[in-house]
Amino acid sequence: MVGLSLGEKHFIQGGIAQDIRSDGRKRLTYRPINVETGVIPQANGSARIRMGATDVISTVKAELGKPISLQPDKGKVSIYVDCSPTAAPMFEGRGGEELSTELSVALQRSLLGGKSGAGAGIDLSSLVVVEGKICWDLYIDCLVVCSDGNLLDALGAAIKAALSNTGIPRVQVAAGASGDEQPEVDISDEEFLQFDTSDIPVIVTLTKVGRHYIVDATTEEESQMSSAISISVNRKGHICGLTKRGGAGLDPSIVLDMISVAKHVSEQLINKLDSEIAAAEAGDDES
Amino acid sequence: MAGKPGTTPTTYSPSPTTQKTRKPIFNKDDVDWVRPDGRGFHQCRPAFFRTGAVNAASGSAYAEFGNTKVIVSVFGPRESKKAMMYSDIGRLNCSVSYTTFATLVRGQGSEHKDFSSMLHKSLEGAIILETFPKTTVDVFALVLESGGSDLPVVISCASLALADAGILMHDLVASVSLSCLGKNLVIDPILEEESYQDGGLLITCMPSRYEVTQLTVTGEWSTPKINEVSLSTGIIAYFYPHLEELCCIREWNELHDFV
Repeated sequence: MVGLSLGEKHFIQGGIAQDIRSDGRKRLTYRPINVETGVIPQANGSARIRMGATDVISTVKAELGKPISLQPDKGKVSIYVDCSPTAAPMFEGRGGEELSTELSVALQRSLLGGKSGAGAGIDLSSLVVVEGKICWDLYIDCLVVCSDGNLLDALGAAIKAALSNTGIPRVQVAAGASGDEQPEVDISDEEFLQFDTSDIPVIVTLTKVGRHYIVDATTEEESQMSSAISISVNRKGHICGLTKRGGAGLDPSIVLDMISVAKHVSEQLINKLDSEIAAAEAGDDES
Repeated sequence: MAGKPGTTPTTYSPSPTTQKTRKPIFNKDDVDWVRPDGRGFHQCRPAFFRTGAVNAASGSAYAEFGNTKVIVSVFGPRESKKAMMYSDIGRLNCSVSYTTFATLVRGQGSEHKDFSSMLHKSLEGAIILETFPKTTVDVFALVLESGGSDLPVVISCASLALADAGILMHDLVASVSLSCLGKNLVIDPILEEESYQDGGLLITCMPSRYEVTQLTVTGEWSTPKINEVSLSTGIIAYFYPHLEELCCIREWNELHDFV
């Protein structure tokens, strides 16, 4: 909970109405995005994203597992978010659990697509090693280091960056295993396969304050919101997921308007993020 | 509640569930696909609502959409726990649980951890929380049988239970979900359709205020498809009058006029 005086509240609301926010940004401007990749050596891929004071880390771990019997031709991906009490005292104990679940579910909804796998950012069939027997399980774990609003967009960006940083070891399957036998595998520790991350959507959260929407809201601004919609959009401009937050109801026409604004914003965000990730990867290789 | 008003019975008598057999998998190229239960694409399942299902609760409701059966009880407003900070608006506490026998595989219902917060978010915009400061209202939902579109049924049923408890609301909340199967959009999907869906959409709204209180989308959707949201608000507007009529919540209407 942010303790704001009445004057501060009016200042934030008035600023948004006049298209100049407390930190000088316009309504549809993001804070500068800082991307670092390869920050966790133990993981197959990792990234840290900073947007203002919001600071999140995302890691990808790949383990060999068995596909579920209903979908033998697909690997598994799970996304978990941890809100550490180091970020805010209210996350202590079970306090962060509700937010963690909410964020995890929203990310799964945005990135993993429908039940049949349509619209998924990650192609699950590319994770299969031997159909019905061996597949890669991707564990995407995110940590909120510091929270200053717009966590979902930052987490989405961090996952995208972490996945482009991820190398999956090449697996050699020993020939000869037949029938129900579990084939023997040889995991290479030199050859790594890169992920195709071009289809991974970005998440754009539009926060409605008064009659206007803003992107990349800070905690102070979020405390003044009536409702917010997080929309994940891929490069093709298709919507891959949508989550609404905040109690106030919205007119359906406003929802559709917010979707079109989010699409417009997402184009810029995708390009910006891609160049930041490329720059981070390049810097990573040099060092 | 089904598509054609003339042919629909006003109440739906529950029939013993017939033995379920695995239907053939939906084929994406199949244009003339017929839904497993023979409904039209834009047709809801036969529905049944009843208030006053639990005597001990301040308000309760039972709802049935095809095989999906839920029961919702509302307790309170009661004094908030001592540990809670002072609040000049009321608190809403929502919990959705599944019976262990609700799903085909025993105990599968525990997968839906997010339903409680989804229910909370869908209802909080409709309830006038200012009318019960310092107190808490508990909404407990139990899914007796899961037959697909569980959450929309829970949400619609919970708003009825709240009305039955005399909690002041701006409007009833009605909810429906859509599944995208290949090129087809089907409304109020059953479990089987949900498991093959390419994308899903859940919308909850207050029909007489024409406000969306909650909206979630999964899977890939192009712009024209998203515009189909208006289709689902249309469907909600269609079944809302039934909702009101079926449960005879006269007292609630009086309170509503008073506000």
